[in-house]
Amino acid sequence: MGQLISNNGQVSIQGVSLVKSGHAILNEITLDLSTPRIGFVGRNGSGKSTLARVVCGLIKPDQGRVLVDDIDIFKNRRKALSKIGILFQNPDHQIIFPTVLEEMSFGLTQQGYSKDAVRQMVAEALAQFGKAAWSNRSISTLSQGQRHLVCLMSVLAMQPAVIVLDEPFTGLDRPITRQLTQILEDIDQTILHISHDLEALCTYDRVIWLERGTVQMDGAPQAVLPAYSAAMDAIGGQDVFADITG
Amino acid sequence: MEKNIVIIALFAALIAALGLVPKFTLASGIPITAQSMGIMLCGTVLGSRRGAKAVLLFLLLVAIGLPLLAGGRGGLGVFGTPWAGFLFGFPFAAFAAGLIMERWRSDNIPLVAGCAAAGGGIGALYLIAVPYYMMATSSGLDQALFTAMLPFMPGDILKAILAGYITAGLAKARPDSLLSRA
Amino acid sequence: MFSLTSPVKSPYHNVPPGPKFFLLMVASITLFLIGNIYLQAAALAFVLGLYLLPGGTFFKEGLRMLWPLWPFVGIVFLWHAFTHDILPGLIIILRMISAVALANLVTMTSQLDEVIALVTRVVTPFRRFGLRPQILALSIAMFIRFLPVLIEKGGLLVQSWRSRSTRPAGWRVVVPLALLALDDADTVAEALRARGGIEPDKI
Repeated sequence: MGQLISNNGQVSIQGVSLVKSGHAILNEITLDLSTPRIGFVGRNGSGKSTLARVVCGLIKPDQGRVLVDDIDIFKNRRKALSKIGILFQNPDHQIIFPTVLEEMSFGLTQQGYSKDAVRQMVAEALAQFGKAAWSNRSISTLSQGQRHLVCLMSVLAMQPAVIVLDEPFTGLDRPITRQLTQILEDIDQTILHISHDLEALCTYDRVIWLERGTVQMDGAPQAVLPAYSAAMDAIGGQDVFADITG
Repeated sequence: MEKNIVIIALFAALIAALGLVPKFTLASGIPITAQSMGIMLCGTVLGSRRGAKAVLLFLLLVAIGLPLLAGGRGGLGVFGTPWAGFLFGFPFAAFAAGLIMERWRSDNIPLVAGCAAAGGGIGALYLIAVPYYMMATSSGLDQALFTAMLPFMPGDILKAILAGYITAGLAKARPDSLLSRA
Repeated sequence: MFSLTSPVKSPYHNVPPGPKFFLLMVASITLFLIGNIYLQAAALAFVLGLYLLPGGTFFKEGLRMLWPLWPFVGIVFLWHAFTHDILPGLIIILRMISAVALANLVTMTSQLDEVIALVTRVVTPFRRFGLRPQILALSIAMFIRFLPVLIEKGGLLVQSWRSRSTRPAGWRVVVPLALLALDDADTVAEALRARGGIEPDKI
């Protein structure tokens, strides 16, 4: 799938901090993300999802800012929509419209394209995935894996420079996961992928391990993943429930 | 039977959620709450009996002290103003909306649901709220109309229209989701 | 799910909710029967005095709970100023503030579980009308359990909207949220049935 112009967006996270109910969810995170494939690992509650939302401009950090290709994605929402998109864990929490066509058209209409242009772009996106027949299908007739694909197509249709994946394959069976992973491998955009599935991140350019709102480790997957894995196994051996504060 | 009890509890929670979900407003900039729209939806989606019960449960939970009304308000105090007639009228609004939805069997869901929402959420509701206001303040109809109807009418008309669209959207997304038409 | 009970302790906290509700009813009816402005002013002063008793923090909390009344006060005042009929307007305003303040006082000084217990007790004689205390208690518990879930899902849908549009999220997101509520209802009903279900009343 060769494309003449690379869509590889650059993300610059500058001193981002976020405090909620007295807890520091994100603690002065500064990262320059310029490679095409970057993975994020960390325990639940480490701040990964929050960081994902801050990077997309959906949550305002208390301090710091995020630039995608030099655009401040919180201050400049209009341009940000064309720069960065996000895929959630559960398509049922992401899909708003009842049919595939409406769901895929939404973002494009909001970007300002004319009705005809939108119809054209959606048709092209569907054709690219060989799903032209899906246009008028009701979302409720689609399986979970198919709904994930609709979300992915909707985001890709907007042609962002960066895509954030927040554990998007949770709960899917292996064949579907492999299919969707394959699709993602081929796209041009920069991918920031939060995942518990370490196998999926082995081929990535960089993996960042987030722990309690700070960067614990940052480097090649061959270095970070085994260290993270070992740490998680060690915790698994302890009583994890003892930690719960009332 | 379990299904009924559960759906009533969940739709009561939905009414509350409509006022509590962050960054969700009906019309940009204008502080119209979506909660009275939730009342209308209980009627148009659940039907008259279940809809009214869901609203009653919601009101009970507000009364016992949960901050469920938009703005985090709740407790017995909200029933102490002359506008409490609206709160007391909510269950009747849902019932009336549900009744219209159940009886008027046209297939034009947006129209029927919009009229049902208006019939219940405006017609039935104001029929209770306005006289209540008159009684609570010993005032005449003109004052009641100015203070208890005029400020809210435009917003409520918008909500009835939106409730019609939402109900139609539900019917389109999943035809058997309208329990009022089961 | 937090309630509006005040964390600041007052002597009123120790009074069981039943008597407080009763006194509130009596006081509210009395307030409505008083048409004299001086008596209304005195009543309000008395109510404010009740708030001052437990201390400054409690008093300020009470005032904060009264603040949302301001548009209502404004509307009534506007009308009566317009019709040059200030006195009845003032009576309405004073009465409203006193009634709401008293009701708020009961809410602020009653624990949620005590109030729920009171409600289920009061409802018991209505068994024959189909309202069983156990069902009510179950409904309340389900509500409290699922409200945060719905708020969270609503929040995600709003984020999904905002990730693709600069306009504020509107009525459109209510459709998927309502569907999620219906689906959750199915799942929970199934779980209830799996745990033995709710037995029909054996009257």
